[in-house]
Amino acid sequence: MKEIYYKVADHVFALELGNNETAVLNLRQYDPFVTDPTENVLFRMQLLSEPLSLDDFTQEWRQDDEGQHILVGHLGEEPCYQFFHHNQLKGVLVCHTDYKYADVYAENNNLFGINNAMMVMFALATADKHTALFHSSVVSYEGKAYMFLGESGTGKSTHSKLWLKYIEGTELVNDDNPVVRLLDDGSIRVYGSPWSGKTPCYRNVSYPLGALVDLSQAPKNAIRKLKPLEAYAALMMSISGKRWDSRLAEGLHETENLLATNASVWHLDCLPDEEAARVCNSTVKNPNVNANVN
Amino acid sequence: MKIKKGFVLREVCGEKVIVGEGLETINFGKLISVNDTAATLWQKATELGDFTIEQLADALVEVYEVSREQALNDVEKLTAKWKEAGLID
Repeated sequence: MKEIYYKVADHVFALELGNNETAVLNLRQYDPFVTDPTENVLFRMQLLSEPLSLDDFTQEWRQDDEGQHILVGHLGEEPCYQFFHHNQLKGVLVCHTDYKYADVYAENNNLFGINNAMMVMFALATADKHTALFHSSVVSYEGKAYMFLGESGTGKSTHSKLWLKYIEGTELVNDDNPVVRLLDDGSIRVYGSPWSGKTPCYRNVSYPLGALVDLSQAPKNAIRKLKPLEAYAALMMSISGKRWDSRLAEGLHETENLLATNASVWHLDCLPDEEAARVCNSTVKNPNVNANVN
Repeated sequence: MKIKKGFVLREVCGEKVIVGEGLETINFGKLISVNDTAATLWQKATELGDFTIEQLADALVEVYEVSREQALNDVEKLTAKWKEAGLID
């Protein structure tokens, strides 16, 4: 049986293609993350050739986001996710054995279905491993990663673009779903991923964390450092996860708490202009300065 | 009275806070800071499931040196706050 192994943020997972070998043609954005086969995997995901019966599906929650929605629940006893694009079912994910195995059906092996299933499975399987899949746009600058947070539509991508345009030496790491890990030596590392929203930026790179910046649109630019509790709240809103599963909530809390305590987290009121990028960059690049710049 | 499903007490950066983590509270989107006394009472209320002001006042008298009258008064104020914040029914 043909399998492909991927390594994202130093976590390896396997995709079992079965009779769906041509699926790889739809998964080009995963190519930079292909790695050698190994026994020690985070999870295995099997691509099914036939649709699953959804008669036993019980819905727990529905999440809506810009023409997409996800139904979260159980298929019989197993956690199950259904991914819709413009009200059309594109993929079904069923998780087994404590998120170690999963089955996925995506009609014609469409990228939308497989992509969402893989991303959700990655978040579920890493929740207790000091790893967090963020909703964030992230750039690198002078060897460190700077992550921009905020609700959909706040201008995370726009702020990254402003750094790219006005701050020399900036590169885009990921525009939507980077991964953050707390490593055993206490350091925090940010990784590119095969998921990047609407911007095709699938880079297999990683950097030590410089700072996290929570953004709000405002009539003028102002930046301030967040207190640990405020930082925790900002992080919680930016990390995908199934918090009503108490085991997963425990792991996410631990990661968020360590990040809120140890990372440099800021809030930026901003306009979409050059000054916003400059104010932000000049403040957050120097972790020893706790100045309030208003 | 009863704590609404989905709210949990957590320690965040050394401070005790109530966080919405359940399906029912997923869009709650805020953290409520609580002091040690309130945290103790929250835990007691969680253990009890259905609780009354009298029961929490008893718990307060056990742990802290307060009169029962004072305890009743404090618990009444605290539960009113919780109710206003939408944490209990």
